[in-house]
Amino acid sequence: MSSTTTTRPNGLALFILPSALMFALFFFLPIGLMALMSVLTGNPVVMPKVAFTTRHYARMVGDPYYLEVIWTTIRIGLVTTLVALAIGYPLAHWMARIKSRAGHALLLMAVLAPMLTGIVVRTFAWMTLLSDKGVVNQTLMSLGLISQPLKLMYTETGIVVGLVHIYVPFMVLTLTGVIGRIDERLEQAAENLGASPLRAFLEVTLPLSLPGILAGSLLVFALAISAYVTPILLGGFQIMTLPILIYQQISANFNVGFAAALGIVLLVISLMLVIAYNRALGLVSGQRELQ
Amino acid sequence: MSASIEIAGVSKVYDGGVRAVDAVAMDIRQGEFFSLLGPSGCGKTTTLRMIAGFETPSSGAIRVDGADITHVPAHKRDMGMVFQNYALFPHRTVAENVAFGLRMRGLDKATITAKVKAALAMVELSGLEDRRPAQLSGGQQQRVALARAIVIAPRVLLCDEPLGALDKKLRQQMQFELKQLQKKLGLTLVFVTHDQEEALAMSDRIAVMNGGRVEQVGTPTEIYNQPTTRFVADFIGDTNIFRGERTTTSTVASALDVGKGLILALPPTEGQGTGVLSVALRPEKIRLITRTDAATAAGSSAHGIVENTNFLGGAVLYRVTLESAHRVLVQQPNAGTSRLFVPGDGVTLEWTPADLVVLKD
Ligand SMILES: Nc1ncnc2c1ncn2[C@@H]1O[C@H](COP(=O)(O)OP(=O)(O)O)[C@@H](O)[C@H]1O
Ligand SMILES: [Mg+2]
Repeated sequence: MSSTTTTRPNGLALFILPSALMFALFFFLPIGLMALMSVLTGNPVVMPKVAFTTRHYARMVGDPYYLEVIWTTIRIGLVTTLVALAIGYPLAHWMARIKSRAGHALLLMAVLAPMLTGIVVRTFAWMTLLSDKGVVNQTLMSLGLISQPLKLMYTETGIVVGLVHIYVPFMVLTLTGVIGRIDERLEQAAENLGASPLRAFLEVTLPLSLPGILAGSLLVFALAISAYVTPILLGGFQIMTLPILIYQQISANFNVGFAAALGIVLLVISLMLVIAYNRALGLVSGQRELQ
Repeated sequence: MSASIEIAGVSKVYDGGVRAVDAVAMDIRQGEFFSLLGPSGCGKTTTLRMIAGFETPSSGAIRVDGADITHVPAHKRDMGMVFQNYALFPHRTVAENVAFGLRMRGLDKATITAKVKAALAMVELSGLEDRRPAQLSGGQQQRVALARAIVIAPRVLLCDEPLGALDKKLRQQMQFELKQLQKKLGLTLVFVTHDQEEALAMSDRIAVMNGGRVEQVGTPTEIYNQPTTRFVADFIGDTNIFRGERTTTSTVASALDVGKGLILALPPTEGQGTGVLSVALRPEKIRLITRTDAATAAGSSAHGIVENTNFLGGAVLYRVTLESAHRVLVQQPNAGTSRLFVPGDGVTLEWTPADLVVLKD
């Protein structure tokens, strides 16, 4: 007994070692450096005399502009997540429950196909649709429904549309796996006991798919708040988000310390979400006594 | 109040083209324990699911108390169902599971609490209200499923192999309890099983199914003693089936020539005739005695040698090879007075022609 408990982790450690090293080198090291930079007065590589400072963070907290950017980022993330969930859930439910194999394959293709095209290409496609002289506005105007072009691009709405399109597949794939593992007979049992199909869904399938909803939302939110290309192209620098701000601080202002501090804020938002997710999941599954 | 069910020429063809249920017709009476019995894949579950409303018949109609419900959605059928895997809601407690149907009926809290309590007491699960299904044994889960289905006082209770996952001892106990409960509540119960002993022990009537069709509907004694088809005779208990040409001998007017010199006298009810026929003879209807040199009674006895024996406790099952090379199962009660035969013993078999059952193919 004791021999297995001592030798087995050692054997395993050998296998884990390479990936652990990779992880440390390419993940913890950069983040550690970023954290370090965010509390230094300058870049120690080029500037011999640097000191510790909290001024980057103080600047963020002190200037409403930066708080507004953070809030915009979170808002875009939340709206994108909710819309992706609203679109993705029915699709995932359909995919998880469809009987015909061909139908399932078709749906899967439809969900995956957009992922085969690059984000930039897809974002440009949205620009041709959403711009003032884009397909949507031209169509509406030629139909006489509107006289002025609607402002679709360079708005948060435009960014959300682009982001949802890109991240819905992540939501669908996460949810499909979870919904597919819920026994259909549970819904039938509910109907047998007098629940309408909608009620059966609300009472049984929805609560049981909560872990998938949480996981998918976390994934999409984290991806949406760190998205960069889409907010730039569809927002045209008129909507500021954290990733855009970080990019500007590095490339235009050369303020690496402030950029690092912004990066840390982005990271902390994501981390807080992961922690909240784990707690929520613990509550949900603790309730279900799965462990 | 319990209801009667009429299944009128119902067929079900699945999308892939599988004809799972083929022109099934049967009448299930009010308050009756009715079993659907047959081998795996014969269409029992499909039939039950059509009664419950989870599948729509491709043709035919289902009526409850005379009213056509073929296209009524499942949640408006007012039927209780115990699923094969119980289908308990994993995210709800025992009490919440049982309360579900009552909640859907919009009953007030106090009534629900009282009814749940009574239902759990009935299945002897009082005290487990706050457990989750995952914290229960198989037998307890089965009881929760049962309580959840009967607490709504359904018109019909449908059970799909509800005892299949339990071990033998528990299964026998639950068979007894379910039967008691059904009688006490006067429930119309449709019970699906592939276990013929279970069906014989519990049912008022049984429908034996094979390949999507109903082979025979009858009481357990009818099904056992007078199987009408070869399949039923073969599926229910052990039996000897002989097939041969009808004939007439000097001593027996109506007989069956099953080949190699073995002639079986047909039951007196069977008139003279010609053609091919199958008959069944239960192992316990044959008497086994030490071989006598006296001439055997024509058509109702034969000589043979014991091939092997199978001691069952209360009875002994012998496999005997006749002089005609037919192999026959014979079951004798273990009376304890006479010595048991051993392989190699010469024996004489005797039976009464009236015990032969003529089968349709
Ligand atoms: N959803 C389905 N789609 C296609 N074929 C099915 C489906 N359900 C059952 N079948 C087929 O129908 C036949 C009867 O199945 P079933 O009613 O489950 O039998 P049983 O309950 O007697 O074992 C089987 O051949 C089975 O493979
Ligand atoms: Mg079945």
